Amino acid sequence: MAGLSDAELIASVLNGNVESFSGLVKRHQDSCARFAVRMLGSRVDADDVLQSAFMRAFRGLRGCKDPEHFGGWLYQIVVNECRTYASRQRRREQRFPSSTPAIEGAVAPGSEAETDPDVGGHIERALGTLPTDQREAFLLKHVEELTYEEISEMTGVSVSALKMRVKRACDALRGQLEGVYNG
Amino acid sequence: MAENFEIGDREAADDAAFAERIAVPLRAQERAHPSLEKRLMDRVRMEGPALYPARADSHASWWWTRRVFEYTPLTGLAAAAGVTAIVALSSVAIGTRIGSRNHDVARPTTAAVKPDTIQLVRFVFVDAKASSVQLVGDFNEWTKGATSLKPSGAPGVWVASVPLQPGRHEYAFIVNGTRWVTDPLAVKSSDDFGTESSVIRVARPGKSEA
Repeated sequence: MAGLSDAELIASVLNGNVESFSGLVKRHQDSCARFAVRMLGSRVDADDVLQSAFMRAFRGLRGCKDPEHFGGWLYQIVVNECRTYASRQRRREQRFPSSTPAIEGAVAPGSEAETDPDVGGHIERALGTLPTDQREAFLLKHVEELTYEEISEMTGVSVSALKMRVKRACDALRGQLEGVYNG
Repeated sequence: MAENFEIGDREAADDAAFAERIAVPLRAQERAHPSLEKRLMDRVRMEGPALYPARADSHASWWWTRRVFEYTPLTGLAAAAGVTAIVALSSVAIGTRIGSRNHDVARPTTAAVKPDTIQLVRFVFVDAKASSVQLVGDFNEWTKGATSLKPSGAPGVWVASVPLQPGRHEYAFIVNGTRWVTDPLAVKSSDDFGTESSVIRVARPGKSEA
């Protein structure tokens, strides 16, 4: 199965061999996990989102117009799912302020950040304080290393608005991490 | 104005350098939860057949199946021998099977067979991902569940021995309870609705037809 391309695996699933979907999961789950964990600040929440995103991808597989680029299509679903999840969490926090926030300031247990609290922990905590749109733009631009054009196509947000979000994210992070990086 | 540009450029460069320092630890690899794939595939198996029904076996679907085999010496031997299918054995050759590199796939044996002896035909199906394999054919009135192949002990290799009368028989495999698969190496036959099955001819004892 490892030797098959994404397009071949998709064709196999559409042909009724649903077991081939596991090949797509194996290939893409870790790269999606990184964005989801960083975005939500929690492995538990990221796991929920990944499950939901992969099932959405499975159900909508016929809608993947460019099967050779399944990864990008899936990534778009993951980004949308993270955004929806974060929005739902925020709404819940507003309604039940006493509940534990799953996003703001959360650090994924066992992550790089936790094992290196002096640097990674500070960064993840600072990241967790950013508004969702700024955090998303920063991660896509600087961690996932996409171009502004790619992010714009994925999110539907204009390039200039994305640049502004990234700039604000950098400013906010710089303010919070002054003590760590001396500005 | 030139000075403003210079300041702007410097700021942008500083921002980029700062962002890079922040991003490096965030680029550390993450691993999805070890159970994610299993949970997903449990749901996929529940929803999949309705969303993407198995096509009454087209050749294409078979070859997809073939290509996901996990290659092992034994499955390699089986594939080389043209297995999914069938080996006709006489009743005195029940013990013959795919065993090692030094033993070819079982061959028909004619010794000591009475003219009216029912032939024992061994069906071999190879699919590393199959969780169940059933055999349906005119000999069991196409009854799903009547003849189940058993794991041979080798990864992905399923076997069943079925007594058959000499003559022509049609059959197909049902994989994981839903997927209809014919034998790509056998002659095909289609019914009035276009559903394909495979054909085996069982020789009368003393003849080599298979």
